[in-house]
Amino acid sequence: MKLLYSIYKEYKVLTRDRAGLAITFIMPTVLILIITLIQDTTFRSVNEASVPLLIVDRDNDSLSIALEKSLINSKFFVITKKQMTDEETKTEIAKGTYFIGVIIPENTSKKLREKSGARVTKLLNSFSGDSTETAVDTNKSNVQLFFDPITKKSFKTTVSNSFERIISQIEMQSMMSALNEKMQESFPLAKPSPLEITPIVNLKEDYASYNNSSIIPNSVQHNVPAWTLFAMFFICIPLAGNIIKERDDGSAFRLLTMPGSYMIVILGKMLTYVIVSLIQFALMLCVGVFVLPMMGMPELNIGNSLPVLFLVAFASGLAATGFGLLVGTIATSHDQASLFGAVFVIILAAIGGIWVPTFVMPEVMKKISVISPLNWGLEAFYGIFLRGSGFKEIFPEVAKLLAFFGASLGGAYLYQKYKRLK
Amino acid sequence: MSILVDIQHVSKKYKDAPRAAVNDLSLTINKGDIFGLLGPNGAGKTTFISMLCGLFPTTSGEIYINGLTHKTNSKACKQVIGVVPQEIALYPKLTAWENLMFLGHMYGLGGSDLKEKVKENLTILGLEANMHQKIISYSGGMKRRVNLIAGLLHNPQLLILDEPTVGVDVQSKQAIIEHLKKLNKEKGMTILYTSHHLEEAEDFCSHIAIIDDGKLITRGATKELISSNNCNSIEEVYLKITGVKFRDK
Repeated sequence: MKLLYSIYKEYKVLTRDRAGLAITFIMPTVLILIITLIQDTTFRSVNEASVPLLIVDRDNDSLSIALEKSLINSKFFVITKKQMTDEETKTEIAKGTYFIGVIIPENTSKKLREKSGARVTKLLNSFSGDSTETAVDTNKSNVQLFFDPITKKSFKTTVSNSFERIISQIEMQSMMSALNEKMQESFPLAKPSPLEITPIVNLKEDYASYNNSSIIPNSVQHNVPAWTLFAMFFICIPLAGNIIKERDDGSAFRLLTMPGSYMIVILGKMLTYVIVSLIQFALMLCVGVFVLPMMGMPELNIGNSLPVLFLVAFASGLAATGFGLLVGTIATSHDQASLFGAVFVIILAAIGGIWVPTFVMPEVMKKISVISPLNWGLEAFYGIFLRGSGFKEIFPEVAKLLAFFGASLGGAYLYQKYKRLK
Repeated sequence: MSILVDIQHVSKKYKDAPRAAVNDLSLTINKGDIFGLLGPNGAGKTTFISMLCGLFPTTSGEIYINGLTHKTNSKACKQVIGVVPQEIALYPKLTAWENLMFLGHMYGLGGSDLKEKVKENLTILGLEANMHQKIISYSGGMKRRVNLIAGLLHNPQLLILDEPTVGVDVQSKQAIIEHLKKLNKEKGMTILYTSHHLEEAEDFCSHIAIIDDGKLITRGATKELISSNNCNSIEEVYLKITGVKFRDK
């Protein structure tokens, strides 16, 4: 009964504090909306890579048409076609207007056809014992690629390989057409079925994940859990302030003189703030699922297990309130708690990959990020949202959050005991 | 008269402090006394009260409340005590009713008994009409009266009052003092009172102790203290004993 009344009191105090409510619920909502929108393009560039590409087509024949079609089908490029000189093309790429420039020289298709025909003729002649030399032009046609200087080597290699694959397919098609023509000449009455030149061996790609979940990380899937965790940990400021206020106004003194009540009041406070953090979490999930899609963002896929999701939220809420209790115990004034709490949470957020996701951090920062409880929570949410993780998979992160909670409580208790005995 | 509080050679020295805050203090408070604990700032009154309430341990000596100590039976000791801190230890955004119901529950009370007790006390101290207003909207005197009620809800045997009338108007002061006298007379409630209002202490307290530098300087029945020191008031006694030197640290 004492505990329930303590929770009821905290509920009343919280709901009558409009500024506190705004910080608790409106701040994370606004952060999620703004930062998701701001970072959407960046995440898209990482995930979907709509690379601006310039084609200077001086061929205007089968090869350039087939090449352009393949590039469009890849959905990897935003294609612009222009006529300009080599120097102008280089300048455009150097300016960063386009990531890649492709120059297809004049008569490339014609030369391809001629070379294919000559190679096929040479091959067939060798079967009939005809040793007449067929003149094969050994000069290669050069399709010129220009890359933006800031382009990463790995990306450059990937794009070059893609171009080589596309051109090889076109060359293959050209050779097959030439062969077909020669065979028609040799067997005019034959009606052969056309040779299929679609790939015989397919490369099947999928994301390795639990429960067949295969979701590509996007701005929503990063920012919703990230800023929800940030807001949860920001709860340490009102909680610490609440504890300090009770200490300053004599309420803590009065409660400490009551038999066994102060621990119940602290427990009531913590449970109330954990409930608040769960409400925050549910609200932010709703923002991700319902509000962001209305703004043109992808919908948040909340994975396969709602109970596991709320277990992570509960563990994160406990860790945040434990931290708030520790700050409230150590800090000597409300200003000190606000400053220390805010700065510490911001540092933990920065380290933990809330602002900049860990997968784009340098290696050294990736290693440091594992010390932040916000990172543990975020990794657990990533696991559920992106890899379809269940309880077993996210247990290590939950255990770390609970250990942080325990350590914070222990720290607060020991500090209090030290002060009392001092 | 039986002894309610027995203080035996109690000392308290904080770790980094150059001297003891309370130094070998011994005194007794009988049941039914209104006991005034007077002394200049820094004399050790707050430290003494904190130890009496069980907030921190003594460095040496024992405190017995109804024959029990905080070391062996803190819960029973705390049940005996009601505390009215100098600060307005209330939640400003809650109403007087909500504050008192919460504190009543924390004392382990509940149900209709608690509701009746809260209502009765609010009525006696003239707050019935305002009991559903938030504390933040109350005047200083009204807040002090609610602060007092909060310490009375569980009918403590020993009520500890730390400057209960500081910063209140004459009417509120009168209401508080009269209510406390009534509780002492009718229910036999023992009161430990600290204040810098020496005139009020003289009028209110049956017994007075003066402490300075953590030591007990004098103690006795109020009238006896005045006469034995050849003075006309407690204020004269106080100044005679403690001097006029400032106690700025």
